[in-house]
Amino acid sequence: MLPTTILIVAFGSAGFVYLAGRVHARVRDTLAVLSSLVLVGLIGLGYGAWREVVYVPDFLGLELVLRLNLLAWFFAITVAAVVSLSTIFSLSYMRRKESANFHYSATLAVEGAMLGTVFAGDLLSFFIFWEIMSWSAYLLISCNRGRALEAGLKYIIMSLVGSCAMLIGLLAMYSGLGVLSIPLVAEGMQAASPGFVLLVLLTFGLGFGIKSAMVPLHTWLPDAHSEAASPFSAVLSGVLIKMGIYGFVLLMYVVVGLKLLLGVGAGWLTFRHILCWLGAITVVVPTFIAVLQSDAKRLLAWSSIGQIGYIILGLSFGTSLAFAGAIFHALNHALCKSLLFLAVGAVEHNTGGVRDLNDLGGLAKRMPVTFACALLAGLGLIGIPLTSGFVPKWLIYRSLIEDGYPFLALAALIGTWGAILYVYKLLHNIFLGQLPEKHREVRRAPLSMRIPILLLGLGILVFGVVPGIPLRAVQDIGHTFGLAQLKVTLWGLGSEAGALNMLNICLAVVIAFAAAFLLLRLGAKGRAVDQEDSYAAGSAVPVGRYHYTVDFYGPLSRMISPYLRDRADEFYYWLAARGREIADLTRKVYTGYAGTYVLYIVSFLAALIFLQLVWHIW
Amino acid sequence: MDRNQLAKWLKSPVEMANKYSLHAVYFCTGCGIIEIPPVITARWDAERFGIKAVATPRQGNLFMITGYVSLKTLKAIIRTYEQMPDPKYTVAFGSCPINGGMYWDSYNTIKHLDKYIPIDGWIAGCMPRPEAVFIGVTHLWTLIDKGKADGYIRYSKNYASYRRNQEMLFGDLGWPPLYPSESPAEEARA
Amino acid sequence: MVTRIIHIVLSPLIALVVAVFLLGLSRIVIARIHRRYGPPIYQPIIDIIRLMNQQSISHGTLFELGVVLALAGSIVTVLFIPLGGTNAPPGSYPLAHGLLCPLSSSGGLLVVIYLMLFGPVSIALGAGASENPNASIGVSRKMLLALAYEVPFLLVILAIMSHYGTISIAEIVSRQQDSAWGVFSVPLSAVAAFLILPAMLGIRPFDLVGAPQEIASGPLAEYGGRYLALLTIQNGIQVFVVIALFVNLFLGGGVNVITFLLKVFAVFLAAELVSAVLPRVRIENALRFCWTWPTGLALAQMIITVVSR
Repeated sequence: MLPTTILIVAFGSAGFVYLAGRVHARVRDTLAVLSSLVLVGLIGLGYGAWREVVYVPDFLGLELVLRLNLLAWFFAITVAAVVSLSTIFSLSYMRRKESANFHYSATLAVEGAMLGTVFAGDLLSFFIFWEIMSWSAYLLISCNRGRALEAGLKYIIMSLVGSCAMLIGLLAMYSGLGVLSIPLVAEGMQAASPGFVLLVLLTFGLGFGIKSAMVPLHTWLPDAHSEAASPFSAVLSGVLIKMGIYGFVLLMYVVVGLKLLLGVGAGWLTFRHILCWLGAITVVVPTFIAVLQSDAKRLLAWSSIGQIGYIILGLSFGTSLAFAGAIFHALNHALCKSLLFLAVGAVEHNTGGVRDLNDLGGLAKRMPVTFACALLAGLGLIGIPLTSGFVPKWLIYRSLIEDGYPFLALAALIGTWGAILYVYKLLHNIFLGQLPEKHREVRRAPLSMRIPILLLGLGILVFGVVPGIPLRAVQDIGHTFGLAQLKVTLWGLGSEAGALNMLNICLAVVIAFAAAFLLLRLGAKGRAVDQEDSYAAGSAVPVGRYHYTVDFYGPLSRMISPYLRDRADEFYYWLAARGREIADLTRKVYTGYAGTYVLYIVSFLAALIFLQLVWHIW
Repeated sequence: MDRNQLAKWLKSPVEMANKYSLHAVYFCTGCGIIEIPPVITARWDAERFGIKAVATPRQGNLFMITGYVSLKTLKAIIRTYEQMPDPKYTVAFGSCPINGGMYWDSYNTIKHLDKYIPIDGWIAGCMPRPEAVFIGVTHLWTLIDKGKADGYIRYSKNYASYRRNQEMLFGDLGWPPLYPSESPAEEARA
Repeated sequence: MVTRIIHIVLSPLIALVVAVFLLGLSRIVIARIHRRYGPPIYQPIIDIIRLMNQQSISHGTLFELGVVLALAGSIVTVLFIPLGGTNAPPGSYPLAHGLLCPLSSSGGLLVVIYLMLFGPVSIALGAGASENPNASIGVSRKMLLALAYEVPFLLVILAIMSHYGTISIAEIVSRQQDSAWGVFSVPLSAVAAFLILPAMLGIRPFDLVGAPQEIASGPLAEYGGRYLALLTIQNGIQVFVVIALFVNLFLGGGVNVITFLLKVFAVFLAAELVSAVLPRVRIENALRFCWTWPTGLALAQMIITVVSR
């Protein structure tokens, strides 16, 4: 009964938290944090107790099933952990904000819906929870009014298009196979015609592609991520877009199955090839758009799209290395990106809502913990060794190279270089360089903000040094889909050629660090000076009048910005404008002049009479 | 390397390294800088003595003031000098930094540079030729050998008086004292 | 196990000695091309001794940590790169005894690409901790320059990895020793790599990151004393790493350490000869140059490699 309990707790607490907020803010805060922690605990308890639960025995002749297996558990624990940390973070962020009641309860509702989506054992309940998730996320995104309303509208329209496509696929499946329970559907698909398989892949793929913000279906994401409240941005970017990834895993590896998937298409034009090239484009283009952004959250939003590209690239290959890399990277991205969004949120909270990169600087000394963890998360996004980002990216690169796709590998590696550029820009412009006069009084982030940030940072470090923990789970998941078993050790991979051992790298780094530190200690002592005491040709560096990091990558942006227009977004806006014009045309029918309406009635009657006279219908 | 130098290297490597690795910050205050390019390029090649131009005072240990010092540049000179880490040597180049030179009666030119920062050596002339620079360098080596190139020590010992001179000229300098005075009583006496 | 520990100690030491020697050599070579006499070859040692004993200033923990991390990163990178030696049975080459590469079995070329980032990123962080505007400008240039040369460099590396079908440098080296050198089997890549070598080494015409005359040596503007000494060593090791990688990928490594180091000196001299006679370019020009000729050549080689597989 565990999955049912979890969902009841999640949705129930969403309601109770709202009611508690009516009573007292502190009761609400306690309840929200407690219930989100209880959810983490419950899911943690569920490890190993794989089961299926029928929660509605008969719904239009269908059984609605919840099931708990390793894949669902892996995604569920990530969701629960990130949401609970975001809830703890909200304690300070949402204090004395009008929409706090709504924020807490809607966040818990989104969590419940996400958990329902991963626990769903049949496609109908999957669809139901998916819709709850989309709608509650819409409410949360547009919570801030103003530009957020527009961003939310964009999100929900694109989500609805995806949902409609999914519904078509669902109906086709129901009419074609007569069942919706996932194992039965998977069985039925093996006998289906290739056209039917393609239909299912395309309709569901559209829905999942929009949710996971794959290029060219990504246009909702930059607006929605940057306009939502920061704790929810962390959830949105950390786990909600991973639901699209979960959907892809479910679709490609469970419902359609690996064997069938590799056979879809002909010659070079296969589903797999198209998907992996879309993944490569998703890596490169948004990454370089992110480099040119000057709004911290918008930069992170574009970077989310870029990182999703890696996951799709890994998923589309269907080898055990690439699959492990993709799922591990989903975890890594959830940790790193939610940490970065929380860190930016903490900065926003402490500086009174500033998130323009040209307006910040030098905060590292004021917010050391936030800076250190944000640095760790940034390195994790890049994939520097000893952070959790290294192993998944290494796995993806390696499988791309060894399977003979050097051009895809090039896209992935260049994406990493772009990541270095935007991560450094983000960290430098917020935390390093000159501290503007107006931010002299900034204090460190409150404890409830530092705790989630610290915990996420710890996770990044632990999974980086001991990648065996998640890798084992990931390769067990892959094994259930019929992928070859990897030789996973606690410290990495133990295969013969090109093996990976993080323990070696870790020891080497520690020893080299100690050696370098000793060498430094050999030298004459340094004198600590104030940060303002820096060389500027004999005069003082003017404080507050200049900002040296405005337009940080100016030369690059002058070179590449003409090529980096978001054409997909422009196309959708063009489409929307045409739609509006057509709607406008139909409006012209209603002139508001009685004579015209009389004319309509008379001509309609005349047409009826004409029909009757000529064809004798009645 | 000379064979008789080897003993010196073994005895006091730090002093020898200080001598043979003079990284110079050229403070191009006036026309004197025109003689520096021949010094560091192909004709006279200062690099064979380990003398190299560096861009910031943080990296250098030889401070060369080439040319007249106006009131405005003096402030920049003091700040740059204070930003240079110890041990550091200062050489004034040309007659203007020594006594004002041809600007001896100008209201705006500093006539006694060593009232404001300590000077280890002077190279006279208007202009001194590049050969004079090398003679100056060899003199500086002798001074370092004998421990008499102690401008930076004098500066720290007599900081209060230097700072007082500087403040008499500028009022508020705009940055805190390099060496905070030991006791409030001493400050009051100063 | 004992040989392994000896190797782990030995290869950074070799790198250190060679790095300091390369720095001295480059100053002499450039001086001679400029028709100067130049400093003695041990001048960098004198400089380092002087810097270690000079007082320095520090802008805080991150400022110091950046230096230490950069040096540590460079030392670690050395451990992943074969410095001569061969896996062939003993007796087939004179003086050859085992591959001098302590961590050859830990991730290969992909790890090296990442570890080579460690240095620049750490220096950038340390430089950012000071408030110096020149440091900000220099770091921005460094990041863009890295992007500029990294595009052709990645193409080169991918062409080699798909040509030899492995990601392990040790295996690439032994395959070259068995048959033709990389410079003959992937010639266009070798040319492209040589064209971007000055950019990777940070020497003229691509020394715009630390341009002393424009931005007061950029990221290093606030570093002096022992920090600058460590960064000088780090720069030397980074130079050694890049050239050692070039030798391993295109010139067949070395059957023993001596031939390997000879090849390193040869490549370094060639790069210095180019550098000594060229003026500095602007960052836009660097981006444009790196993304036209070297990228075009590397791309052509990669297409050839993929098609001929």
